[in-house]
Amino acid sequence: MSGRGVWLRARARLRRFPAALAACGDQAAAYGRCVAAAAAGPAELRRDTCLEEFQALRECFARAVRRIKLGWEGLGGC
Amino acid sequence: MRRGAREAERMRGLARPALRARWCRRLWALPARAAAASPSPPAGASPGSGALNPFDRRLKRKQKNWAALQAEPAKCDYLREEVGGRIADRVFDVARTFPLALDVGSGRGYIAQHLTKETVEKLIQVDIAENALKNAVESEIPTVRVVADEEFLPFKEDTFDLVVSSLSLHWVNDLPKAFKEIHQVLKPDGVFIGAMFGGDTLYELRCSLQLAELEREGGFSPHVSPFTAVADLGHLLARAGFNTLTVDTDEIQVNYPGLFEVMEDLQGMGESNCSWNRKPLLHRETMLAAAAIYQEMYGNGDGSVPATFQIYYMIGWKYHESQAKPAQRGSATVSFGDLAKIEGLLKRGKK
Repeated sequence: MSGRGVWLRARARLRRFPAALAACGDQAAAYGRCVAAAAAGPAELRRDTCLEEFQALRECFARAVRRIKLGWEGLGGC
Repeated sequence: MRRGAREAERMRGLARPALRARWCRRLWALPARAAAASPSPPAGASPGSGALNPFDRRLKRKQKNWAALQAEPAKCDYLREEVGGRIADRVFDVARTFPLALDVGSGRGYIAQHLTKETVEKLIQVDIAENALKNAVESEIPTVRVVADEEFLPFKEDTFDLVVSSLSLHWVNDLPKAFKEIHQVLKPDGVFIGAMFGGDTLYELRCSLQLAELEREGGFSPHVSPFTAVADLGHLLARAGFNTLTVDTDEIQVNYPGLFEVMEDLQGMGESNCSWNRKPLLHRETMLAAAAIYQEMYGNGDGSVPATFQIYYMIGWKYHESQAKPAQRGSATVSFGDLAKIEGLLKRGKK
């Protein structure tokens, strides 16, 4: 898994993340609120406490990333 | 020039720990230990025992070399330049001219550009990353640059009148030893002025990653290196032999668009994690979760997120007979009970 090509491609993919996250503001806020409430609550924060909110966020994020990727490729590659 | 570019590419490939094909052992740290970790050795440890070795210095050197070879090295330097300016202010506050000064962990030289030839006549800059020294900022003071580790300073005892250090001691493995080395190379009546990151630095990043890993993966490992507490700093300086200590703290808050930009800038500053016990992989989903948590828990009203940098400034002097000493016991001439009559006593004293 080492090699310069992999690293450059991963970094290019990572550069799309902030834009995609900005497109999913509502889902991100809902997930953040769920985790903050769970962490502040009486019980410990456990794995998959906020699973539904995270799945909604992940789907929105995947759609946004695909949109950005198609948009970039339409403009002539990234 | 071509050789330099190829070397740079090779270093960039090496300096990215998250993608190396290393053992992907997950470290489940207990919450109490990770949250309250502090690198200072326990009070009973012998000086220079080498009991602590949390950081991989070779990796830190590669990371700093990579950061210095970026296209725009000055882009991520805003924090270091600000702290360098504040340290230079403290140097000016000491109303002396220093014939020979040392800058430990200087990077591209952020303190020298604020100092004048009248204050410091000659400067030696020391750093582990040679690329940072090669791209150093010009300053009017005649400078000599040396590649050396902060824990193993290659200088004789009693050489320097002034030692400064800005934001590089937090990656040192054996901090007591580093302070002892600095104390050793100082001349008597020399002064050490330093700045280090303090306990609250990047607490938002640390908490967001912690909560995201707990929720997504069921456990977490430390991603932000532990910083020294202010009380430990005072003890370390005193144990190294410094007199007349002053430690004060400052908080700088920088706003970023989001978690990814914070991490990108930290990488550009050469501040990527290099602990031996770091997790080599950070999953995309965890990063996404952490970004959402960061925005929700700490976000400002306008959509940006703050990152806190807490800086401790320390000033310590090496002993000299001319320095003020506490008075002898039993040499008092007035009593505290007479504090109300202080005006009369002062007038009597003037007569």
